[in-house]
Amino acid sequence: MAIRLQRLPSASPGIALAARAIAILFALITAGLLLAASGAQPLKLALQVLRSTFGSGFGLEDVGLLVTPLILTGLSVAVALRIGAWNIGAEGQFYAGAFAATGVALFVPGPTIVMLPLMFLAGAIGGLIWILVPTLARAYADVSELITTLLLNFVATLLVYYVATGPWLDPGGHALGTTARLKHDVPEFIGMVHWGFPIAILVAVITAAAFSFTRWGYEVRIAGSNPQAAKYAGMPFRRHLIVVMLLSGAIAGIAGMPEVAGTVHRLQGGISNNFGYLGIMVAVLARGSCIGVIAGAALMAVILNSGIILQTQGVNTSTVLAITGLILFFTAVGDELAHFRIVSSKPAEA
Amino acid sequence: MAMPDVTERPPGTPPLVQLRGIAKYFPGVVANQDVDLEVWPGEIHALLGENGAGKSTLMNILTGIYQPDAGEIIIDGYLKSFASPVEAIAAGIGMVHQHFKLVRAFTVAENIHLGWSETPRAISAQELEARTAQLSASLNLAVRPDVRIDELSTGEQQRVEILRVLARKARVLILDEPTAVLTPSEARELFKALKEFVARGNAVIFISHKLDEVLEISDRITVLRGGRKVATEPTSACSETMLAKLMVGHEIVLDDLRARGPNAVAKSNEPVVRLREVTARDSTGHIVLNKVSLDIAGGEILGIAGVAGNGQKELSELLTGMRAASSGQIMLGGRDVSTAGAGDFADFGVGHIPEDRLRSGLAPALSVTDNAVIREYDRAPVSLGPWYRPRAAAALARKIAEAAAVMVPNYSMPIRNLSGGNQQRFVARREMRIATKLLVAAYPSRGLDVGAINTMMRYFVELRDAGVGIVVISEELEELLNLSDRIAVMFHGEIMGIVDSAGADIEQIGLMMGGQRAATPVRAAAMVH
Repeated sequence: MAIRLQRLPSASPGIALAARAIAILFALITAGLLLAASGAQPLKLALQVLRSTFGSGFGLEDVGLLVTPLILTGLSVAVALRIGAWNIGAEGQFYAGAFAATGVALFVPGPTIVMLPLMFLAGAIGGLIWILVPTLARAYADVSELITTLLLNFVATLLVYYVATGPWLDPGGHALGTTARLKHDVPEFIGMVHWGFPIAILVAVITAAAFSFTRWGYEVRIAGSNPQAAKYAGMPFRRHLIVVMLLSGAIAGIAGMPEVAGTVHRLQGGISNNFGYLGIMVAVLARGSCIGVIAGAALMAVILNSGIILQTQGVNTSTVLAITGLILFFTAVGDELAHFRIVSSKPAEA
Repeated sequence: MAMPDVTERPPGTPPLVQLRGIAKYFPGVVANQDVDLEVWPGEIHALLGENGAGKSTLMNILTGIYQPDAGEIIIDGYLKSFASPVEAIAAGIGMVHQHFKLVRAFTVAENIHLGWSETPRAISAQELEARTAQLSASLNLAVRPDVRIDELSTGEQQRVEILRVLARKARVLILDEPTAVLTPSEARELFKALKEFVARGNAVIFISHKLDEVLEISDRITVLRGGRKVATEPTSACSETMLAKLMVGHEIVLDDLRARGPNAVAKSNEPVVRLREVTARDSTGHIVLNKVSLDIAGGEILGIAGVAGNGQKELSELLTGMRAASSGQIMLGGRDVSTAGAGDFADFGVGHIPEDRLRSGLAPALSVTDNAVIREYDRAPVSLGPWYRPRAAAALARKIAEAAAVMVPNYSMPIRNLSGGNQQRFVARREMRIATKLLVAAYPSRGLDVGAINTMMRYFVELRDAGVGIVVISEELEELLNLSDRIAVMFHGEIMGIVDSAGADIEQIGLMMGGQRAATPVRAAAMVH
């Protein structure tokens, strides 16, 4: 009898989920050890975090505010992955969406009931325009969207800094480096959590349904998984690539709108809070599943919120970033290990 | 040059290379079995065989790329075992592969000295070039030491490869299809260089499937078929006809697959597919199919024979709408489909079992269900209007799996988890559902075991008896003779001729595979009636 490892071509969902849970646990333990090594008391800090997050309505509301943009940016990345594209530019599209929604709010007159849908639409179009060039470059010249979407992030970030400190600077002068307070607010849903939260979940559900229950979704699934097979079946790969990438940009743009009109109420530099980049992690945690993105975003929001609490306890901000990195790392390891099983077998006969 | 003859040598002279009882097995495949080979000093020894006959595997064993599962390698009288090509070259055995292994951005001198233990640790470019020029002069192989590989013609690149091997004091030079990339004049120069090389007491092993050049250059010829040695003969005792026969094999048992059942639909009078002077080019503009004219009737099986890479794949893509013709006309059931796409062909009733099912016929990472409905997802019951119905899709997947006799434990698991034979049957059954006019099967038995091959053949017979036209591309001539009504032979993107399988002359097919035209005019033979 000999014990050996065998790699299976696919992992069963139960084992995969267990591997995820263990991976997160390991990441937290490692983070705890690091905190202990730097002189903090990890258990006390953990209790503090749990109490502040789940012990009160306020804590949960904070998480709710964080989860809203994360669902949408995560969904944006997950959607692009469906056609095999890496949208690293959700950050830039988020800014572009926030910029467009703010522009409409500042310069178009109208009642709030009309203005909010209009701003929502402006956000989507802003994100779409921001991914348009990378999309066409990929579709017609095979330029890697990884690079182009990433580079446009810096352009969008600086554009928003510029308008917020320059042409759109609050004329009332109440605050430095932001636009005036927007006249139209996304109404509140529960407590501080605005309607952006249920809308984000709705967008995720509708997108998931579109992929599962339409002919278009099926074609995208095939084309994204194997472009050669799409060619074989006569499916228009390029058209699907363009549509899906534009959709991905639009969703990230939508994320910017409730952030401006619901959470911050102003456009300011740094408004994205890295939500675009964190969306990549959310999508990876969700294994590219549109519904899974909701769970991934929730986890990420709890981590971010914990980070804020830890900061009030005097822990460095980079530590929080390190914890998120550790979770991603351990998850990747866990995903791979979930493919293995231990078998005992007789030694192979000669 | 004197004919090397074993009996004329003084007793005790060992062969340069001696292989005894070499065997090599890959999962499910016997690549070599009981192969003996002797190569003497001063000899150009040709290794002849069809694709998959085991030539390359045997040479990969001799050069240390593979290790044999049985048998001995004896070099100059000493038993050797090579763990890597480095050890083989140290023992004087070097190989020039069909695809050159040169660094394109390096100069000739740099390539010659790359990875060579005799290259001095520190040396200037001028010295490297001088050393190269010296080697080039002493081995009588003209190269330009200071030129980058990119700037050389294929023939010059090959000379660099040969110089690289000879500089390392190789006594046995193995060349894999060396003339495939050469112009006729370059080939003549190569032959001259090879003759000079063996005149110095060395030996060349020359791999080819071109009969004429083998007869021209070699002293002795060894023929491999199905991984075994069939014969070793002095070239003076060989003829093209005899070699073709040895290469293809003559003990072919004809099954009655060609016989129709009592309920079979007769062969149609009107062709289902008609190609007229169709020419196709690859992405770089080279002609891959040259003025191909072909009629395929309903209820007949047309076999396409030929050495792989002579336009068969392109023909299968053309017949299924995956490749556009650059000129000529394609008619499908009386409709001009010259400009239609793959989706249109499928809608018109053309099924396609592609050459590489995992690369194009399937999305390996997606579920069995997703892969099952790739042809019928756009119609009821799998979809209604724009809506896709996963349950209906799963039901169709079950139906296909049942027809293919594939056990699927879980329809949402990735299809790559199925075995190769199961995947192929699954694809075949899926395509048979839509193939109401034509089924194109490219190398359908590649990688399958005998049982799975028989099942595939039965599928084709079943479809033929239902009145569908079938094109089967294969490099197994026996398989084509047993199955098809007619066989078209392809060479360099052209159809050399079409012969009836009944009473087909295998030697003639072998010659056509080597580039000879059919005795009967091609156009006349291409007509159905």
